[in-house]
Amino acid sequence: MQIEKMGIPTAPMVTIAFKDLAKTNAAKRGMPDERICFTPHPVWGKTDEQMYAYLEGNDPVTGKPLMKEVIGALTDPLTADEAKTGTVTPPTGAPTFVDTADNLQQYFLDNGMTDFMPIILPTRERVDAMLKGTSHKPDEVVGKMTPAQGAFPAWSFTVEQVAVNAVMAGCIPDYFPTLLAIGSTGISALFSSTNSLVSAVVINGPIRDKLQMNYGIGAMGPFNQANACIGRAWTLMSKNLDGGGVAGETYMGSQGNVINYNNLIIPENEKDSPWEPFHVQKGFKPEENIASFFFGFNITQGQGGKGLGVKPIPKYNEAMSANVAPFASLFGALFILDPLVAHGLGDLGFKTKDDIADWLQKNTTVTVKDVKSMLFSGLPRGQAATLKDDDVIPKWERKDAYNFVVCGGQTNPYHQLANMSYRVSVSIDRWT
Amino acid sequence: MAAGAGSKLEVLNPRGIPPPITLIPMAKRLDTLDGKTVYLVSDGFPGADAFLNQISIWFKKNMPSVTTVYRLKAGGFADDDPKLMAEIKEKANGVIMAIGH
Repeated sequence: MQIEKMGIPTAPMVTIAFKDLAKTNAAKRGMPDERICFTPHPVWGKTDEQMYAYLEGNDPVTGKPLMKEVIGALTDPLTADEAKTGTVTPPTGAPTFVDTADNLQQYFLDNGMTDFMPIILPTRERVDAMLKGTSHKPDEVVGKMTPAQGAFPAWSFTVEQVAVNAVMAGCIPDYFPTLLAIGSTGISALFSSTNSLVSAVVINGPIRDKLQMNYGIGAMGPFNQANACIGRAWTLMSKNLDGGGVAGETYMGSQGNVINYNNLIIPENEKDSPWEPFHVQKGFKPEENIASFFFGFNITQGQGGKGLGVKPIPKYNEAMSANVAPFASLFGALFILDPLVAHGLGDLGFKTKDDIADWLQKNTTVTVKDVKSMLFSGLPRGQAATLKDDDVIPKWERKDAYNFVVCGGQTNPYHQLANMSYRVSVSIDRWT
Repeated sequence: MAAGAGSKLEVLNPRGIPPPITLIPMAKRLDTLDGKTVYLVSDGFPGADAFLNQISIWFKKNMPSVTTVYRLKAGGFADDDPKLMAEIKEKANGVIMAIGH
């Protein structure tokens, strides 16, 4: 599109798997009649002969000979529609909907405004009650969000619009500042990539207890209203506030991810941890209420790691190091450690989170050959030409790729780990 | 307040506010590709480079008067590449862009 604006005719080519996404994106960016030519899917992984056969065949969308279409995209005179200028405002529907409760549930479902489970209908009364959870005015713009930066234009949204989604998810007004903090980052929980990516938020500060969040047994499971509803609201916000979550258009995850139902909501177990809380590591005061965000590939369990069977003290550090071996270095590592593991690491001499990060960065290594064979992993910048296949290099160059949160109810010294990177920390207090 | 089964409720729309869309007119088209320079641009998605190579082979076989030039856009798929854009503006008559994948 940028090239068209420069006055150079362009024929974009994309596989049919991205037909809806490509056409929707073109329309949203101002060129609804962009002359996109489609090939069969996939191109990646095909032989030269197979790709050439695509060129000699037809566009699977139009049925027309593909290369003739490509040439026509560059040479056929413009139609009146293709030459249009002006501004259009995309429709989002009426400000309110009126119907019976059952019909409204169906309407929200049919129009992609839910997570395909029944919602709490956002009546004026319920939304007004939610708005009492903050001192901010209903029409204040909280932020902007997009399913994928650069691919889709960002939508803006107000305090009231966040409140509507909060009601739908089953939140109570006390949760509202946390949701406004989440919204203020503009981070969508439903990032549009063919990878089915996941998002996490770590909650620190006294608000965890005020909201009666669970950071003990079952903390990351369906065992607590605050944990569950805040996570669910983030998913609904990510669908409704930015036009996201439309499978095939603004969500392209090839398989999807169950975590997207309500994301990873991780209140840190500060009282049972021997270490400083995550937000204090990031420079905040202990009494501040902070939400910290992570993003990346999936979460997995660490119970099978080498070293955990060692007695008397399991070699937790060795298990953590072994467990991240298959991770892609595109994202970092977030360890969610039961307090028993954190104390066990302390018994092994790791007195701070920085100690264990330092050890992991030095001792978690990979061969250059292995890195070259992996997807979404790369060699250290500027060193590709000098490294040999047998060279051994750190999994991650920097120790801040390793992050730690203590969470769990101490029924056993287990940990989970996510191939995720830290993004940002924001104040919840700002939104009270 | 409970509502009767048939009674109606008014609820609020949960959607955010999309930005207005400024329509972008497309560039004037070429009369012909014969004798022209067509840039074949990859945005870096896997397979794009090999696919565009097949397009250049197709032109050599079927429209040998067309000159093709392959370029890989710098950065991520949505990142700008001002240097490449300047080159295209100066030297390309048309562009075929492989987006994915």
